[in-house]
Amino acid sequence: MKQGRAGEHRRLCLIQLKVAKRGDPMHQRSFAPYLFILPAFVLYALFVGLPVAQVFAYSLFAWDSGTIKGFAGLANYVRLFNDRVFWVALGHNAIWVVLTLTFPVAVGLFLAAILADSGPNIRRIASAVYFIPRTIPLVVAGIIWGWIYNPLFGLLNWILRSVGLGRFAGGWLADPDSALLSLNVVGAWTFFGFCVVIYLSAIQSIDPALQESAQVDGASWWQRFTRITTPMLNRTTLFLGLYASIEAMRFFDLVWVTTGGGPGYATEILTTQIYKSFFLVGDFGYASALSVVLLVIVLTIGTSAFLWLRER
Amino acid sequence: MKYVAQASIVGSMTVAFAAFSPANAQTIVNQWDQFANAGVTAAGPAMEELIETCQAELPNVTIIRTVAPSIGIRDVYRLAVSAGKTPDLAYTWPAASVLAGYARTGALAELDSYAEQYNWELNDFSRGRNSYNGHLYAIPLEQDLMGIYYNKDLFAEHGVAVPTTYAEFQAAVETFKAAGIIPIAFGNRDRWPATNTMSMILGATVGREGEEAVFFGDEPWTNAGFTMAAEVFAEWGANGYFPDGFNGIGFDEANALFTSGQAAMNATGTWAIQDLGRNATFDLGAFVLPPIGDGVPPGTMWGEGSQWQIAAIASQDTKDAAAAYLNCLTSPDKQQIWVEKGFLVPIGTDPDDIQNWNTLPIVKEFYAAGLADGNDNFYDLHTTVPESVTQVLYPELQRLVGGDTSPQAFLEAMQASWEAAVANGERWTP
Repeated sequence: MKQGRAGEHRRLCLIQLKVAKRGDPMHQRSFAPYLFILPAFVLYALFVGLPVAQVFAYSLFAWDSGTIKGFAGLANYVRLFNDRVFWVALGHNAIWVVLTLTFPVAVGLFLAAILADSGPNIRRIASAVYFIPRTIPLVVAGIIWGWIYNPLFGLLNWILRSVGLGRFAGGWLADPDSALLSLNVVGAWTFFGFCVVIYLSAIQSIDPALQESAQVDGASWWQRFTRITTPMLNRTTLFLGLYASIEAMRFFDLVWVTTGGGPGYATEILTTQIYKSFFLVGDFGYASALSVVLLVIVLTIGTSAFLWLRER
Repeated sequence: MKYVAQASIVGSMTVAFAAFSPANAQTIVNQWDQFANAGVTAAGPAMEELIETCQAELPNVTIIRTVAPSIGIRDVYRLAVSAGKTPDLAYTWPAASVLAGYARTGALAELDSYAEQYNWELNDFSRGRNSYNGHLYAIPLEQDLMGIYYNKDLFAEHGVAVPTTYAEFQAAVETFKAAGIIPIAFGNRDRWPATNTMSMILGATVGREGEEAVFFGDEPWTNAGFTMAAEVFAEWGANGYFPDGFNGIGFDEANALFTSGQAAMNATGTWAIQDLGRNATFDLGAFVLPPIGDGVPPGTMWGEGSQWQIAAIASQDTKDAAAAYLNCLTSPDKQQIWVEKGFLVPIGTDPDDIQNWNTLPIVKEFYAAGLADGNDNFYDLHTTVPESVTQVLYPELQRLVGGDTSPQAFLEAMQASWEAAVANGERWTP
């Protein structure tokens, strides 16, 4: 009896398939979504897929002053393993990711939680003020902070000397020990306001009854922050973490206008190494190999986070 | 607005007529150059006047000019070449190794026939640095010299005479240090200024022959002479010759430090002469670093700085027009315009002539000092070594002078990149 039902079901499915092939409206509708995404897909293929394929193709050739010399196979990728600068740059990117996840995101969460408990006017004004650095192009931010850090006339050294802390004054971007950290402060300055705004809107979407109940039960502000607010913002934190990680891997302009990757290799990152290999040396093959590696890293971060988000 | 539109239409028609009328066939030459009105190589006013002059002399040639900043033009030019859009005529830097890269890949037109046609006279040094495989690919213009600008007022105030030996130079530095004055304005945030300083020290330590043994021979970078030069530069960085945080100070900021009277000397080249000459608030002088190595003759780093080159992809008419225009720009009767309007001294200019022309006193003084020992002048590192080596040289010099690497480790890094470039066929030889 069971087999008979199963056989009947298979027969019905085959009939439906045949009908569909003859032009059943249900079957026609199934193509519609593909038609809708076709324009976007074509644009994506033209402006993203094709350039990516082109970069990958470039990476398989040896170049001389921007001109192809011959097929190189995977030689440009093999070269990466022995390139000390590549590993130093990758390490700096990793440090940048960790620092970005630690400071601007954490500070943004804390400030947003404070603002959420403030009056609407303070909330509006403060979040706008915090967000201002985000609106400043990184090139401009780099120039401004380059002046602040300048060993000759920098504001930071002047302030330190004015308050009797002159022994801490120095060449912030000239010293390999402080250059990367000093630049990360600039990066954090431009990013934390964004975190505040995103967290603030997420906090405001949390059911106020939860906070009120906890308050009635005698929970302190810190307890509510750590036990209710922070856990409820997991998805927002994940989004900001993902965004910050990708940004930390692909940022360039701030470093380029301030230190150019120096002093020495102290602030070298993957994108500055790519720029130098491509534009200054004319070794398009190696620059493309570096770009492909960077793309793979960013895609891996993005895909992992996406899958994790979907599971949760 | 109406008149503007009418003028625009009339202008367009005139240009169109001029371009297509067989009787007045115009050849358009697209020119890229780096002659701005301020900053490095600020010979813009001379360039503008010479375009007018040469267009008048060559009525069938029209120059369309694009100015790119001096530091950036080499990157922009590389991109244009790799995109197959090489400008018809370009004045860019550097010659020698990078020029050889373009010649090797067929991006540039050979200029041998034009040199013969127009009787361009080049000394062996300049011809070599603008040639590849025995063929001429560029014409140099400006005579670059490296030296030490100094504040005559500060020197007089502290009883310091212009040094004639390296020991006197060191004593002068110590005098200024003791007086709380920065001895040498130096900013290396832009990465390339250290290359010039190191080139100057290197030549003064090993001389031209010592450099050629490495650049064109088989002598390694780690030889005793190069090691001594690296040690000298590291000492300058460690012993307070430069302002604190020099790796975080820009080239222009260092120049401002000097022109405002806060530093006694400034070790840089004639590419900054326009800015320093105009902005110095004191009596400005220049001298050449005395020899450091035993038995090394006096001299300084020199070169052509940048050079004119014609695109291989330009049409024959365009190449001919560009060559005729180049002949006009570089002819001896135009030297005075370059010197007086641009404070730029063309290669081959008689130093005695400069003394009689209306130009800045520092131009006269610097070229008199720098050309006095021309036969013993030596090479500039980053216009002589391939780009792949230059991109190691820049950061490694920052580390060397900043005390983050030893002279030996610096030279080993240079030797490794040099060997890779040689194996890759990138080495330029005259």
